[in-house]
Amino acid sequence: MVNNETKLKYTANTNRKLAGRRKKTRIINTIIFLALLAGSLVMIVPLVWMVSTSVKDKMQVFAMPPVWIPTNISWSKYSEIWEKGPLLSGIVNSLTIGVTVTVVGTFTSSLAAFAFAKLHFPHKNKLFLALLGTMMIPFAIIMIPQFIIFSKIGWVDSLLPLIVPGLFGNVGMIFFLRQYMQGIPTELIEAARLDGCSFFKIFYRIIFPLAGPAISAQIILWFMGCWNDYLGPAVYINTPEKMPIQLVIASFNSTYAIQTDYPLIMAAAVVSMLPILIVFIVFQKWIIESVAISGVKG
Amino acid sequence: MHELLLTFATKILKSKKIIGGENMAAKIKIKSKSDYYARERKAGYLFVLAPVLQFFIFALVPLLISLYAGFTDWSTIGKPSFTGIENFVKMTQDPHFWKALFNTAFMMIGIPIRLVLALMLALAMNRKIFGAKTFRVLYYIPVISSIAAISILWRWVYNGDYGLLNQVLSIVGVKGPNWLTNEATVKPAIIAMAVWQDLGMSMLLYLAGIQSIPKDYNEAAQIDGANTFQIFKNITVPMLKPVTFYMVITGIIGGSQMFIQQNLMTDNGGTNYSAATIVYYLWDKAFKQYQMGYACAVGWILAIIIFAVTYFQFKNSSNELFEE
Amino acid sequence: MLKKSKKLITMILGVAVLTSIFVGCSGSKKAADGKVEISWMCYGQPQETKVYEQVIKKFEEKYPNVKVKLVSTTQDQYGQKIQAAMASNTMSDVVYMGPGDVKAWTNAGKMLKMTEYLDKAEKDGILKLDDIWEKGLAKYKYDGTKIGQGDIYALPKDIGPFGFGYNKTLFEKKGIPLPDKTKPYTWDQFIDVCKKLTNDTGGDDATFGTGLNVQWSLPAFVFSNGADWLNDDATKVTITDPKFEESLQFFADQTLKYKITPSSEQGQTLDTYQRWLKGQLGFFATAPWDIAAFESLPFEYDIIPWPAGSTGQTASWLGSVGFGVAANTKHPQEATNLAIFLSTDKDANKMVSDQQIQVPNIKSMAKTDYLNASNKPANKQAFIDLIEKYGKPLPGERTYNAEWYNKYLEGIQDVLDGKITAKDYCEKVQPEMQKLLDDSIAKEAKEKTK
Repeated sequence: MVNNETKLKYTANTNRKLAGRRKKTRIINTIIFLALLAGSLVMIVPLVWMVSTSVKDKMQVFAMPPVWIPTNISWSKYSEIWEKGPLLSGIVNSLTIGVTVTVVGTFTSSLAAFAFAKLHFPHKNKLFLALLGTMMIPFAIIMIPQFIIFSKIGWVDSLLPLIVPGLFGNVGMIFFLRQYMQGIPTELIEAARLDGCSFFKIFYRIIFPLAGPAISAQIILWFMGCWNDYLGPAVYINTPEKMPIQLVIASFNSTYAIQTDYPLIMAAAVVSMLPILIVFIVFQKWIIESVAISGVKG
Repeated sequence: MHELLLTFATKILKSKKIIGGENMAAKIKIKSKSDYYARERKAGYLFVLAPVLQFFIFALVPLLISLYAGFTDWSTIGKPSFTGIENFVKMTQDPHFWKALFNTAFMMIGIPIRLVLALMLALAMNRKIFGAKTFRVLYYIPVISSIAAISILWRWVYNGDYGLLNQVLSIVGVKGPNWLTNEATVKPAIIAMAVWQDLGMSMLLYLAGIQSIPKDYNEAAQIDGANTFQIFKNITVPMLKPVTFYMVITGIIGGSQMFIQQNLMTDNGGTNYSAATIVYYLWDKAFKQYQMGYACAVGWILAIIIFAVTYFQFKNSSNELFEE
Repeated sequence: MLKKSKKLITMILGVAVLTSIFVGCSGSKKAADGKVEISWMCYGQPQETKVYEQVIKKFEEKYPNVKVKLVSTTQDQYGQKIQAAMASNTMSDVVYMGPGDVKAWTNAGKMLKMTEYLDKAEKDGILKLDDIWEKGLAKYKYDGTKIGQGDIYALPKDIGPFGFGYNKTLFEKKGIPLPDKTKPYTWDQFIDVCKKLTNDTGGDDATFGTGLNVQWSLPAFVFSNGADWLNDDATKVTITDPKFEESLQFFADQTLKYKITPSSEQGQTLDTYQRWLKGQLGFFATAPWDIAAFESLPFEYDIIPWPAGSTGQTASWLGSVGFGVAANTKHPQEATNLAIFLSTDKDANKMVSDQQIQVPNIKSMAKTDYLNASNKPANKQAFIDLIEKYGKPLPGERTYNAEWYNKYLEGIQDVLDGKITAKDYCEKVQPEMQKLLDDSIAKEAKEKTK
């Protein structure tokens, strides 16, 4: 029998241990903080560079040693970008593509991932490997056959070739979610099944919420992929107003590097980073919070 | 350990009235075992219908065309004519092909580097560090920066005389080479840039994985007297295996297709072709040298190599990952 | 069960509905009110495209029954895009064609032989072929074997002479007599002057004779020394010609032996360009597309002929891109008229050259308005001389593909670093280059028979 005195001694001991551990943790955390700070300086260098270049004048861009704080700071490029090219429509187009594809595609991808991870049906693994295989073919060699197909059905110079295929799912996302979902205990599904849940309901109410962090991480990745896509739009879009954002920015490039208006390009690039940044900030919070909501992690 | 998770999960699910309760049992009558399996089969096929359709509609036909093209002399803009295995023979005789293959394999060194760094970062971000949320955003900035900005930036960093890297080195008295035009240094330089750019993303994926490890495991282990390193080795790493596996596979697949960086950082594939990757090689053949047929042959050889490597990885990894 | 399939059906329906909406919106191609519609694919910065939209308006005024649709992309994706269009038979009526693509595109049967439509245009008085620079036009003439003669497949958009500039202020500071406006230096004279200009203090006030990039500047030395990368009918790689090796070695020696340049690596980056802008270099390559950027230089500059090798005659290369017409166009005459308009219309020329500072395509305009304009540089005649007399095509332009030329560029850095002599390098790499050239000629022959 454990009497009160032993209990108190035990608690005191544990508290001392925990206190010691806490101090050690704090020291380690401080070291880590400093290391992260140093590392983050390295990480934000491109952003700083982009902003700095966007306010320089053209010739200072190539100055060696490089100029970090330009002599004449001119914010004029930020107003120029809206006039010089269809930047606004570029953002709208990219948003259209990105949001449509990720919303519908996440649904189809996570559904498929669930099936690959937890359901049993013949040839499951062969199918999975086949889908995975599509990632292994370099885009260059299927680009032209795909283009021929799309041009035959009249989809050239529209956003359709950039949206419709994605609606059916993304193999990278399916792969990752499958791995993640395999970690979800099968007993949960069996229990739900025995209680009479349909598979779709199991997916909708159990799997999808539990896979929240993984799905959020992949949404960020996919949205970004759509946002930064450049080769696809370059081949399919002919009208400047239909161009997604990266294509608009790339069109600010000139034949001769000397003539390229780098400050303009950087200003456009800085502006174009904002939507992704917002997507990231929103979704990375979900990664943490969705875990808390499902309550499994205490 | 599983039981803990199961108990917790069941508790929540019961509270949300998803499972449990007597009123559910009567709703769907399961007639027999085979009926159960039939439903599962149907559900399975239905759920994977979308990606499979995608494959058949958008991928299969172009893939077959490119496969056929590999056996022709298709010049991208002209008409293809069948040439048998000529392309494949030519491939084995082209030193550029082998060099590019070697360069591509070399680039894979970036994968373990990136994984280790990303894991360390994710662990750090997971702790209650002041400003962790802000750090997460900052470390992600390279991932979303435009490729144009990054290539200009890194061309400056690696510049032989005024580049940032060499300036830093000169402080400690080392004269750095011209990183991008020097044969020996151009690949490591591009690897460093690629790791730097991708780090934030890998960190994020690991973070998602770490968050899925129930804290009770760690706490239970701590009470049992395990130190941080043991916890890391015996709980964290194994539980992250699926994520690590994913990153290795996608790293191999993605890394072998690298070519945009080479395009932007070097001219003509680097001095003595020291930077060209296999996709750079075939992109050049397809669109600059009007040899699309040959490029398709190269592309398929690449796909076969990657597939073999990937399949090997799948077989080798623990059974749970690939259960029948 | 029902609920699940219901959800799936709704989803599929939703996608179908979305798709049909988009398809409905994705522009049908019928030409409104009986006008002929032709499309023109180009690349360029948005402000260039805006200028071209003005030019198109003028064209439509002149030809009221024609409507022009502008198709744009970016310059580095243009190659892929047009090849995709060619493969799917969806080419625009008027397209940009670079000199290096002439053989490949015409052999594949994708480009229209413009001759009969140009003849009609001349008869109608809207074209004067001999008022266009011959060398520019020659880049787009092909008789099935050799570039430079035969049928015309494109009209030039611009002809850009790669010229040679010097820093007048630096010369005056160092008390060196200014170079002659028309008489080129000999190589020895050039080195002498450069030595006087060079003062490598190692600091920010260092000055050098020059700092040239081997890919773009070597041709001037090779050509003026009487050599070339290829023989006359582009079948043999001629870099083992002693005159070629001599030129390459001379180029490398500017850094290695005479030390009149900053380090060789800097020639590969934009560093020498920066030094020029700061006024540290005596000489630097200058082309019409640089002029806009040179407006605000902190020193006086002007153009002179490149130094001449053993031939005593200066030389350099001419850059260009042309307006071609797709072979399967439904409106060949209208498309050709558009190409003519874009290339030679006086107002169009003026608008475009004001914007990009190019030399006008029309000889008469170039020799009057352009030459006499008060803007810099003063000695525009040097540009005109290059276009008229001394300009030659770049090596890669004359062949079906440029693989053989890329091979040469691959290892050239070793020569510049002094790791191998020009002679040894040329002898080593020529057989490999020849094989690649032979392959491309064989491929070309095969494509022609299809």
